[in-house]
Amino acid sequence: MKETVMMMIGAALVNNVILARFLGLCSFMGVTTRIDTAAGMGLATTFVITVSSMADWAVQRYLLEAYGLGFLRTVTFILVIASAVQFTEMVIRKVSPSLFQMLGIYLPLITTNCAVLGVALLLAENHMSFIAATLFAFASAAGYSLVMVIFAGLRERLALASVPRLFAGPPIAFIVAGLLAMAFMGFSGISTV
Amino acid sequence: MTVTADDFPAPAHTIEGYARVVGIEGAVAWLEPEQTASCGGCAAAASCGSPGLGSLAGRIKARRFPLDNRDALIVGERVVVGVTERALLKAALTAFALPMLAAFTAGGLAQWADGSNPVTMGAMIAGLFAGFLASRRMAHRLAARGELAPRFLRRAQQDETCR
Repeated sequence: MKETVMMMIGAALVNNVILARFLGLCSFMGVTTRIDTAAGMGLATTFVITVSSMADWAVQRYLLEAYGLGFLRTVTFILVIASAVQFTEMVIRKVSPSLFQMLGIYLPLITTNCAVLGVALLLAENHMSFIAATLFAFASAAGYSLVMVIFAGLRERLALASVPRLFAGPPIAFIVAGLLAMAFMGFSGISTV
Repeated sequence: MTVTADDFPAPAHTIEGYARVVGIEGAVAWLEPEQTASCGGCAAAASCGSPGLGSLAGRIKARRFPLDNRDALIVGERVVVGVTERALLKAALTAFALPMLAAFTAGGLAQWADGSNPVTMGAMIAGLFAGFLASRRMAHRLAARGELAPRFLRRAQQDETCR
Protein backbone atom coordinates (compact mmCIF):
# COMPACT_ATOMS: atom_id res chain seq x y z
CA MET A 1 0.00 0.00 0.00
CA LYS A 2 2.78 2.40 1.00
CA GLU A 3 4.65 1.63 -2.25
CA THR A 4 1.50 2.37 -4.28
CA VAL A 5 0.99 5.72 -2.54
CA MET A 6 4.65 6.66 -3.04
CA MET A 7 4.45 5.60 -6.68
CA MET A 8 1.39 7.82 -7.16
CA ILE A 9 3.01 10.81 -5.43
CA GLY A 10 6.10 10.28 -7.55
CA ALA A 11 4.07 10.20 -10.75
CA ALA A 12 1.98 13.25 -9.86
CA LEU A 13 4.50 15.57 -8.23
CA VAL A 14 8.13 14.43 -8.51
CA ASN A 15 8.11 13.26 -12.12
CA ASN A 16 5.30 15.57 -13.18
CA VAL A 17 4.27 14.99 -16.78
CA ILE A 18 4.51 18.68 -17.70
CA LEU A 19 7.18 20.15 -15.46
CA ALA A 20 9.60 17.21 -15.22
CA ARG A 21 8.98 15.22 -18.39
CA PHE A 22 7.97 18.21 -20.57
CA LEU A 23 5.02 16.44 -22.18
CA GLY A 24 1.70 18.05 -23.12
CA LEU A 25 3.18 21.53 -23.42
CA CYS A 26 0.81 22.61 -26.21
CA SER A 27 -2.25 22.39 -24.00
CA PHE A 28 -0.22 23.69 -21.05
CA MET A 29 0.32 27.00 -22.84
CA GLY A 30 -2.86 27.01 -24.92
CA VAL A 31 -5.69 26.10 -22.53
CA THR A 32 -4.46 27.73 -19.33
CA THR A 33 -5.75 31.25 -19.82
CA ARG A 34 -8.70 30.51 -17.49
CA ILE A 35 -8.98 28.17 -14.52
CA ASP A 36 -12.28 26.62 -15.59
CA THR A 37 -11.12 25.67 -19.07
CA ALA A 38 -7.87 24.33 -17.60
CA ALA A 39 -9.85 22.23 -15.12
CA GLY A 40 -12.14 20.95 -17.89
CA MET A 41 -9.21 20.04 -20.09
CA GLY A 42 -7.44 18.46 -17.10
CA LEU A 43 -10.41 16.25 -16.26
CA ALA A 44 -10.88 15.21 -19.88
CA THR A 45 -7.18 14.39 -20.23
CA THR A 46 -7.17 12.50 -16.92
CA PHE A 47 -10.04 10.38 -18.17
CA VAL A 48 -8.45 9.67 -21.55
CA ILE A 49 -5.00 8.91 -20.06
CA THR A 50 -6.54 6.47 -17.55
CA VAL A 51 -8.77 4.70 -20.07
CA SER A 52 -6.12 4.51 -22.81
CA SER A 53 -3.56 3.22 -20.30
CA MET A 54 -5.94 0.42 -19.35
CA ALA A 55 -6.27 -0.49 -23.02
CA ASP A 56 -2.54 -0.07 -23.68
CA TRP A 57 -1.69 -2.34 -20.76
CA ALA A 58 -3.91 -5.10 -22.18
CA VAL A 59 -2.52 -4.66 -25.70
CA GLN A 60 1.06 -4.70 -24.42
CA ARG A 61 0.56 -7.77 -22.21
CA TYR A 62 -1.68 -9.95 -24.36
CA LEU A 63 -0.65 -8.92 -27.89
CA LEU A 64 2.72 -7.19 -28.21
CA GLU A 65 4.63 -9.16 -25.55
CA ALA A 66 2.88 -12.45 -26.24
CA TYR A 67 3.65 -12.41 -29.96
CA GLY A 68 7.03 -10.62 -29.85
CA LEU A 69 5.69 -7.50 -31.55
CA GLY A 70 7.39 -5.00 -29.24
CA PHE A 71 8.74 -3.02 -32.20
CA LEU A 72 5.15 -2.03 -33.07
CA ARG A 73 4.57 -0.54 -29.62
CA THR A 74 4.55 3.17 -30.48
CA VAL A 75 2.36 2.90 -33.56
CA THR A 76 -0.02 0.53 -31.77
CA PHE A 77 -0.33 2.83 -28.78
CA ILE A 78 -1.08 5.80 -31.05
CA LEU A 79 -3.89 3.75 -32.59
CA VAL A 80 -5.19 2.72 -29.17
CA ILE A 81 -5.14 6.34 -27.92
CA ALA A 82 -6.96 7.64 -30.98
CA SER A 83 -9.53 4.87 -30.54
CA ALA A 84 -9.90 5.68 -26.82
CA VAL A 85 -10.57 9.34 -27.65
CA GLN A 86 -13.11 8.38 -30.32
CA PHE A 87 -14.72 5.93 -27.92
CA THR A 88 -14.94 8.58 -25.19
CA GLU A 89 -16.43 11.07 -27.62
CA MET A 90 -18.96 8.53 -28.88
CA VAL A 91 -20.01 7.46 -25.39
CA ILE A 92 -20.39 11.04 -24.12
CA ARG A 93 -22.41 11.91 -27.20
CA LYS A 94 -24.74 8.97 -26.53
CA VAL A 95 -24.85 9.48 -22.77
CA SER A 96 -25.64 13.17 -22.94
CA PRO A 97 -25.74 15.38 -26.03
CA SER A 98 -25.69 18.44 -23.73
CA LEU A 99 -22.41 17.32 -22.17
CA PHE A 100 -21.03 16.60 -25.62
CA GLN A 101 -21.91 20.10 -26.81
CA MET A 102 -20.08 21.57 -23.86
CA LEU A 103 -17.06 19.29 -23.63
CA GLY A 104 -16.63 18.01 -27.18
CA ILE A 105 -14.15 20.79 -27.83
CA TYR A 106 -11.52 19.25 -25.53
CA LEU A 107 -11.50 15.77 -26.95
CA PRO A 108 -9.84 16.41 -30.33
CA LEU A 109 -7.08 18.29 -28.51
CA ILE A 110 -6.29 15.23 -26.42
CA THR A 111 -5.70 13.01 -29.46
CA THR A 112 -2.52 14.91 -30.21
CA ASN A 113 -1.49 15.39 -26.58
CA CYS A 114 1.86 13.65 -26.29
CA ALA A 115 1.40 13.26 -22.52
CA VAL A 116 -1.07 10.43 -23.24
CA LEU A 117 1.44 8.53 -25.38
CA GLY A 118 4.29 9.36 -22.97
CA VAL A 119 2.47 7.84 -20.00
CA ALA A 120 1.55 4.73 -22.01
CA LEU A 121 5.19 4.21 -23.07
CA LEU A 122 6.40 4.69 -19.50
CA LEU A 123 3.96 2.03 -18.34
CA ALA A 124 5.13 -0.41 -20.99
CA GLU A 125 8.73 -0.04 -19.80
CA ASN A 126 7.90 -0.46 -16.10
CA HIS A 127 6.12 -3.86 -16.31
CA MET A 128 3.50 -3.10 -13.62
CA SER A 129 0.38 -5.05 -12.69
CA PHE A 130 -2.90 -3.83 -14.19
CA ILE A 131 -4.12 -1.95 -11.12
CA ALA A 132 -0.68 -0.42 -10.47
CA ALA A 133 -0.39 0.69 -14.10
CA THR A 134 -3.85 2.25 -14.01
CA LEU A 135 -3.12 4.06 -10.75
CA PHE A 136 0.21 5.28 -12.13
CA ALA A 137 -1.55 6.63 -15.22
CA PHE A 138 -4.25 8.25 -13.12
CA ALA A 139 -1.68 9.87 -10.81
CA SER A 140 0.35 11.16 -13.76
CA ALA A 141 -2.80 12.65 -15.25
CA ALA A 142 -3.81 14.14 -11.87
CA GLY A 143 -0.38 15.80 -11.72
CA TYR A 144 -0.95 17.15 -15.23
CA SER A 145 -4.35 18.57 -14.20
CA LEU A 146 -2.93 20.06 -11.00
CA VAL A 147 -0.21 21.92 -12.90
CA MET A 148 -2.72 23.09 -15.53
CA VAL A 149 -5.00 24.57 -12.85
CA ILE A 150 -2.12 26.15 -10.87
CA PHE A 151 -0.68 27.69 -14.03
CA ALA A 152 -4.11 28.94 -15.14
CA GLY A 153 -4.56 30.59 -11.73
CA LEU A 154 -1.19 32.29 -12.05
CA ARG A 155 -1.99 33.47 -15.58
CA GLU A 156 -5.35 34.88 -14.47
CA ARG A 157 -3.53 36.94 -11.87
CA LEU A 158 -0.86 37.90 -14.38
CA ALA A 159 -3.55 39.25 -16.68
CA LEU A 160 -4.43 41.79 -13.98
CA ALA A 161 -0.84 42.65 -13.08
CA SER A 162 1.12 45.44 -14.71
CA VAL A 163 3.77 43.59 -16.67
CA PRO A 164 6.47 45.49 -18.64
CA ARG A 165 5.44 45.56 -22.32
CA LEU A 166 8.50 43.57 -23.33
CA PHE A 167 7.41 40.65 -21.14
CA ALA A 168 3.66 40.85 -21.65
CA GLY A 169 1.92 37.73 -22.96
CA PRO A 170 3.84 34.52 -23.68
CA PRO A 171 7.26 35.72 -22.37
CA ILE A 172 6.02 36.25 -18.80
CA ALA A 173 4.02 33.00 -19.08
CA PHE A 174 7.21 31.10 -19.95
CA ILE A 175 9.06 32.73 -17.06
CA VAL A 176 6.25 31.75 -14.67
CA ALA A 177 6.28 28.20 -16.08
CA GLY A 178 10.01 28.03 -15.37
CA LEU A 179 9.51 29.24 -11.80
CA LEU A 180 6.72 26.69 -11.34
CA ALA A 181 9.02 23.91 -12.61
CA MET A 182 11.68 25.02 -10.12
CA ALA A 183 9.10 25.01 -7.33
CA PHE A 184 8.12 21.45 -8.26
CA MET A 185 11.78 20.43 -8.04
CA GLY A 186 11.26 20.81 -4.30
CA PHE A 187 9.30 17.54 -4.41
CA SER A 188 12.29 15.56 -5.71
CA GLY A 189 13.58 13.16 -3.09
CA ILE A 190 10.10 12.19 -1.91
CA SER A 191 9.90 9.29 -4.33
CA THR A 192 12.06 7.95 -7.14
CA VAL A 193 9.48 5.87 -9.03
CA MET B 1 -36.28 21.98 -23.69
CA THR B 2 -34.55 25.17 -24.71
CA VAL B 3 -33.27 27.81 -22.35
CA THR B 4 -32.78 31.50 -22.91
CA ALA B 5 -31.00 34.32 -21.16
CA ASP B 6 -34.12 35.21 -19.22
CA ASP B 7 -34.08 31.88 -17.42
CA PHE B 8 -30.72 32.62 -15.77
CA PRO B 9 -29.63 35.30 -13.40
CA ALA B 10 -26.70 37.20 -14.95
CA PRO B 11 -23.60 35.23 -13.87
CA ALA B 12 -20.40 36.88 -12.73
CA HIS B 13 -18.15 34.71 -14.93
CA THR B 14 -19.27 33.49 -18.29
CA ILE B 15 -17.27 31.64 -20.90
CA GLU B 16 -18.10 33.20 -24.24
CA GLY B 17 -18.05 31.58 -27.64
CA TYR B 18 -19.16 32.45 -31.16
CA ALA B 19 -21.91 30.64 -33.01
CA ARG B 20 -23.77 31.07 -36.27
CA VAL B 21 -27.50 30.68 -36.72
CA VAL B 22 -28.00 27.83 -39.21
CA GLY B 23 -31.72 27.33 -39.03
CA ILE B 24 -35.00 28.58 -37.60
CA GLU B 25 -37.75 26.16 -36.60
CA GLY B 26 -40.70 28.05 -35.24
CA ALA B 27 -39.59 29.74 -32.04
CA VAL B 28 -36.30 27.85 -31.93
CA ALA B 29 -33.04 28.92 -33.54
CA TRP B 30 -30.41 26.26 -34.30
CA LEU B 31 -26.85 27.38 -33.83
CA GLU B 32 -23.50 25.87 -34.76
CA PRO B 33 -20.36 26.77 -32.83
CA GLU B 34 -18.11 28.74 -35.11
CA GLN B 35 -15.45 26.83 -37.01
CA THR B 36 -12.21 28.15 -35.62
CA ALA B 37 -8.62 27.83 -36.81
CA SER B 38 -7.93 25.57 -33.86
CA CYS B 39 -9.81 23.57 -31.23
CA GLY B 40 -11.23 26.55 -29.42
CA GLY B 41 -9.30 29.40 -30.89
CA CYS B 42 -6.76 29.30 -28.09
CA ALA B 43 -3.63 31.42 -27.79
CA ALA B 44 -1.44 28.56 -29.01
CA ALA B 45 -3.40 27.98 -32.21
CA ALA B 46 -0.41 28.62 -34.45
CA SER B 47 1.70 25.96 -32.80
CA CYS B 48 -1.06 23.50 -31.96
CA GLY B 49 -1.16 20.10 -33.63
CA SER B 50 -4.90 19.66 -33.70
CA PRO B 51 -6.45 22.30 -35.96
CA GLY B 52 -7.43 19.70 -38.55
CA LEU B 53 -9.29 17.63 -36.00
CA GLY B 54 -10.94 20.62 -34.39
CA SER B 55 -12.28 22.06 -37.60
CA LEU B 56 -13.88 18.99 -39.14
CA ALA B 57 -17.27 20.03 -40.45
CA GLY B 58 -18.94 16.91 -39.08
CA ARG B 59 -17.62 17.61 -35.60
CA ILE B 60 -18.96 21.15 -35.69
CA LYS B 61 -22.32 19.95 -37.00
CA ALA B 62 -22.55 17.41 -34.19
CA ARG B 63 -22.32 20.23 -31.67
CA ARG B 64 -25.34 22.08 -33.11
CA PHE B 65 -27.62 23.33 -30.34
CA PRO B 66 -31.08 24.95 -30.00
CA LEU B 67 -31.90 28.32 -28.48
CA ASP B 68 -35.23 30.03 -27.91
CA ASN B 69 -35.45 32.67 -30.61
CA ARG B 70 -36.82 35.52 -28.50
CA ASP B 71 -34.31 37.94 -30.00
CA ALA B 72 -35.52 37.45 -33.59
CA LEU B 73 -32.28 35.94 -34.84
CA ILE B 74 -32.04 35.24 -38.55
CA VAL B 75 -30.17 32.51 -40.44
CA GLY B 76 -26.52 33.40 -41.03
CA GLU B 77 -26.29 35.79 -38.11
CA ARG B 78 -23.26 35.54 -35.81
CA VAL B 79 -23.97 35.64 -32.10
CA VAL B 80 -22.06 35.43 -28.86
CA VAL B 81 -23.25 32.63 -26.59
CA GLY B 82 -22.02 31.75 -23.14
CA VAL B 83 -22.02 29.16 -20.40
CA THR B 84 -21.19 29.77 -16.78
CA GLU B 85 -17.79 28.68 -15.46
CA ARG B 86 -19.51 26.51 -12.89
CA ALA B 87 -21.56 24.77 -15.57
CA LEU B 88 -18.41 23.78 -17.45
CA LEU B 89 -16.85 22.34 -14.32
CA LYS B 90 -20.03 20.49 -13.38
CA ALA B 91 -20.26 19.05 -16.90
CA ALA B 92 -16.62 17.90 -16.82
CA LEU B 93 -17.07 16.30 -13.40
CA THR B 94 -20.24 14.54 -14.55
CA ALA B 95 -18.79 13.28 -17.82
CA PHE B 96 -15.32 12.26 -16.66
CA ALA B 97 -14.96 12.10 -12.87
CA LEU B 98 -18.05 10.01 -12.16
CA PRO B 99 -17.18 7.10 -14.54
CA MET B 100 -13.57 7.15 -13.31
CA LEU B 101 -14.67 7.00 -9.69
CA ALA B 102 -16.94 4.05 -10.45
CA ALA B 103 -14.17 2.27 -12.38
CA PHE B 104 -11.64 2.69 -9.56
CA THR B 105 -14.14 1.58 -6.92
CA ALA B 106 -14.96 -1.57 -8.89
CA GLY B 107 -11.29 -2.21 -9.70
CA GLY B 108 -10.23 -1.71 -6.07
CA LEU B 109 -12.88 -4.13 -4.83
CA ALA B 110 -11.93 -6.73 -7.46
CA GLN B 111 -8.24 -6.41 -6.64
CA TRP B 112 -8.98 -6.81 -2.94
CA ALA B 113 -11.29 -9.80 -3.50
CA ASP B 114 -9.43 -11.67 -6.24
CA GLY B 115 -6.14 -9.95 -7.02
CA SER B 116 -5.71 -11.21 -10.58
CA ASN B 117 -5.18 -8.86 -13.51
CA PRO B 118 -7.99 -10.13 -15.81
CA VAL B 119 -10.64 -9.95 -13.06
CA THR B 120 -9.53 -6.44 -12.02
CA MET B 121 -9.59 -5.35 -15.67
CA GLY B 122 -13.10 -6.76 -16.18
CA ALA B 123 -14.34 -5.13 -13.00
CA MET B 124 -12.89 -1.74 -14.00
CA ILE B 125 -14.50 -1.90 -17.44
CA ALA B 126 -17.83 -2.84 -15.85
CA GLY B 127 -17.40 -0.02 -13.34
CA LEU B 128 -16.64 2.41 -16.14
CA PHE B 129 -19.88 1.59 -17.93
CA ALA B 130 -21.84 1.76 -14.67
CA GLY B 131 -20.27 5.19 -14.14
CA PHE B 132 -21.39 6.26 -17.61
CA LEU B 133 -24.95 5.26 -16.73
CA ALA B 134 -24.73 7.27 -13.52
CA SER B 135 -23.35 10.27 -15.42
CA ARG B 136 -26.21 9.95 -17.90
CA ARG B 137 -28.71 10.32 -15.05
CA MET B 138 -26.79 13.22 -13.59
CA ALA B 139 -26.55 14.93 -16.99
CA HIS B 140 -30.31 14.58 -17.51
CA ARG B 141 -30.85 16.21 -14.12
CA LEU B 142 -28.48 19.08 -14.96
CA ALA B 143 -30.03 19.53 -18.40
CA ALA B 144 -33.53 19.61 -16.92
CA ARG B 145 -32.41 22.46 -14.68
CA GLY B 146 -31.02 24.24 -17.75
CA GLU B 147 -27.48 24.23 -16.37
CA LEU B 148 -25.85 22.76 -19.48
CA ALA B 149 -27.47 24.96 -22.11
CA PRO B 150 -25.52 27.83 -23.66
CA ARG B 151 -27.39 31.14 -23.47
CA PHE B 152 -27.60 34.01 -25.90
CA LEU B 153 -25.50 36.98 -24.78
CA ARG B 154 -25.47 39.41 -27.71
CA ARG B 155 -25.16 39.71 -31.47
CA ALA B 156 -21.51 39.59 -32.53
CA GLN B 157 -20.00 42.73 -34.02
CA GLN B 158 -18.66 42.50 -37.54
CA ASP B 159 -15.11 41.00 -37.45
CA GLU B 160 -15.44 40.37 -33.71
CA THR B 161 -13.23 37.42 -32.75
CA CYS B 162 -12.20 35.68 -29.57
CA ARG B 163 -8.64 37.01 -29.82
